[in-house]
Amino acid sequence: MTQRQWTTRRDDKQDRMAQVAPWLDAKQLPADRITDALYALIAPGDRVIAEGNNQKQADFLSRALADLDPERVHDLHMIQPSVGRPEHLAVFEKGIARKLDFAFSGTQSHRIGALMMDGTIEAGAIHTYIELYARLFVDLIPKVVLTAAFKADRDGNLYTGPSTEDTPALVEAAAFSGGIVIAQANEIVDDVSQLDRVDIPGSWVDVVVQADKPFYIEPLFTRDPRHITDVQIFMAMMALKGIYAEHGVQSLNHGIGFNTAAIELLLPTYGEKLGLRGKIAKNWVLNPHPTLIPAIESGWVETVHCFGTELGMENYVAARPDVFFTGADGSLRSNRAFCQLAGHYAADMFIGSTLQMDGDGNSSTVTTSRVSGFGGAPNLGCDARGRRHATPAWANLAPSADPMARGRKLVVQMVETFQAGLKPTFVDSLDAVTVAEKAGLDLAPVMIYGDDTTHLLTEEGLAYLYKAESLEERRAMIAAVAGVTPLGMSADAATTKRLRAQDKIRTPEDLGVRRTEATRSQLAASSIADLVDWSGGLYEPPARFRSW
Amino acid sequence: MESAELLQRESFVEKNARQRVQHLVDAGTLRELLDPFERLSSPWLGLQDIVTQADDGVVIARGKIDGVAVVVAAIEPAFQGGSMGEVGGAKIAGALELALEDARAGKPVVPVLLLETGGVRLQEANCGLAAIAEIHAAIVALRAHVPVIGVISGPVGCFGGMSIAAGLCSTLIATREARLGLNGPQVIEQEAGVDEFDSRDRPMIWSLTGGAQRHACHLVDKLCDDDAAEIRTAIARAVAQPVADLPRTQAVDAHLAQLRSLDTSRRADAEWARQVMAHDIHGAGDPS
Repeated sequence: MTQRQWTTRRDDKQDRMAQVAPWLDAKQLPADRITDALYALIAPGDRVIAEGNNQKQADFLSRALADLDPERVHDLHMIQPSVGRPEHLAVFEKGIARKLDFAFSGTQSHRIGALMMDGTIEAGAIHTYIELYARLFVDLIPKVVLTAAFKADRDGNLYTGPSTEDTPALVEAAAFSGGIVIAQANEIVDDVSQLDRVDIPGSWVDVVVQADKPFYIEPLFTRDPRHITDVQIFMAMMALKGIYAEHGVQSLNHGIGFNTAAIELLLPTYGEKLGLRGKIAKNWVLNPHPTLIPAIESGWVETVHCFGTELGMENYVAARPDVFFTGADGSLRSNRAFCQLAGHYAADMFIGSTLQMDGDGNSSTVTTSRVSGFGGAPNLGCDARGRRHATPAWANLAPSADPMARGRKLVVQMVETFQAGLKPTFVDSLDAVTVAEKAGLDLAPVMIYGDDTTHLLTEEGLAYLYKAESLEERRAMIAAVAGVTPLGMSADAATTKRLRAQDKIRTPEDLGVRRTEATRSQLAASSIADLVDWSGGLYEPPARFRSW
Repeated sequence: MESAELLQRESFVEKNARQRVQHLVDAGTLRELLDPFERLSSPWLGLQDIVTQADDGVVIARGKIDGVAVVVAAIEPAFQGGSMGEVGGAKIAGALELALEDARAGKPVVPVLLLETGGVRLQEANCGLAAIAEIHAAIVALRAHVPVIGVISGPVGCFGGMSIAAGLCSTLIATREARLGLNGPQVIEQEAGVDEFDSRDRPMIWSLTGGAQRHACHLVDKLCDDDAAEIRTAIARAVAQPVADLPRTQAVDAHLAQLRSLDTSRRADAEWARQVMAHDIHGAGDPS
């Protein structure tokens, strides 16, 4: 019997590292050696992660990767929580990479859709975040991780600061499996004592390199209150009365749309009037949304754990350590993996929006021209079947008092019946189904499944879908609040009347919410400037949001 | 500012034109002239498949502010960007001309103009421009008899021919989100190039044309927060002011001297503009 070799992965890593060793000062690689180093450290067919977060991009490294010669490096399998940079797709167009597993594509959603349909990208799956992190430890173990830090020292200790986000999960998967971790940093210091704090220990990192320019940050979670409409305020009032107060929702996540921004800005005004402070919306899993500032300042919010950060919120967050998780240096510590877990298992509610919903309540933001991925929405927006603790809101959704009856997480879809351009939100069949066929995906990219959706809120009314006794009844409830869309027009008036009588759907009138009250004067802050005032000048909005 | 104070603060910007008028005039004194039920809408917009509004985006009302007789002309920023068309412009010009008749007859009525406007309505071109010219003439005639108050609350700003109307006012009130300029940022960028003026560079735009800068340069007399009570107080104080002995725009020699001293080869920035315009050329001094 031949002796099995048990250290092939480690040996392979050592061989590759030996090639770059002569160039390293401790672990620091001179920036002009990056191309040589990537040729030495990446082999054709490798699984490679190019870290792309919402607020931290390993863009120096991903640009260097995209500049490699596809004759020498090809058929890479890219694994990316977020595909946010043009060069992330250039590696496919040039033939350096072939296969892609990802979770979110944001700004690249149109291009990625086109490349998937024409076969340039062989799509693995469009994951949800923790699902993708989980696979890094099972069947998508990475060989090389390209990550990014604000600062590093020569020994590889990293300071990822408020934008820690995905880094611990990605680095861990490679560092302990014979993989190679390469980190770019905006600044490299001589000694660990010069780092604000250590977010990733140096022994997990193999190479650090100074980036040519600071990594790109996109303010994804800033919603200018100026753009919140009366209809959104109307729906926010219905949500607060019919969902938050009705079920006593204490822990929650909000989507990033203007709908939920409106709710955040109504807490100190309309919520206060309803006497709900201290009773609802106390513990949040949320990025530091600027629109949450008034609720924090007026004592609504006890804690916020963050997936990532938001540009401009650094000083505000640092000044509110009782509310936000902060490091010894004072700045925010975000961690997407833990925050997603918190949102999945420990939150009473997820509330967000979508672009399309079918008659069964399945919803997706994927349309034929746009494959955005869903980031964390499917983790947050589904019932956690493994959950074994009760909270009042969760228990409130239990069908009976039977000790074997389980509660549910509230999963709320908040949509206007028509999208921009008078496109109905409610459709016969999701575009996602067509996209799956064209792009050869195993599963249709559904963001939130109908059977996970407990509430549907439109400007027409609120459907308590968890009360549906059959699939047919769920369909009738959705149609009843679908307004004058084709689906809504198909609703049977007698059935709708019965559903109302059974308290399965409520109209704004049933909820006691008046349209005439739904005006922008209800907002605690009506502009970015107001948010700055609320923050006592601590919030520093990016230039493009300033209007003074 | 404390949370309680911020929650109490009522926004002026969030009110529509009619609500602004209602907020400003003393309770029980408001009488709208040519209200929406007169159905005076633009004859031009419909021809271009644009939905008209029954008041053409301008609210004219008589009333009193702290007992002083006023006529308020409020432009609705949400309708066609507050643009001045034939009808809306004529409503303002007509109101000012009636006020002038009253003033000459010894019954002074103080005009208050809420100037949220991108300038002339392009779809109505010369018809709008003609009305704006009439507004200018009426303000100049009126301010010999009564103070004429202009207010720019933002964020539409006050541009084009209507920025001249703002400049002619005896007292001009603005918020920091307001902007005042002859040409809007996109127009300047289109004419002069993006290197000269980047219309997406918001901090630069507000640093040159924003309310705070215009106040520092003495083109705006009073800077207010977006606080409905504070703005009303400022307006009430201004309508009770005596007529200025030398309106800003009649100090022609002083302005010409200022312009001649400019080194036009230098690129203007906010700080330099403040230095150049440090001197308030205004007959009655700073009423704030």
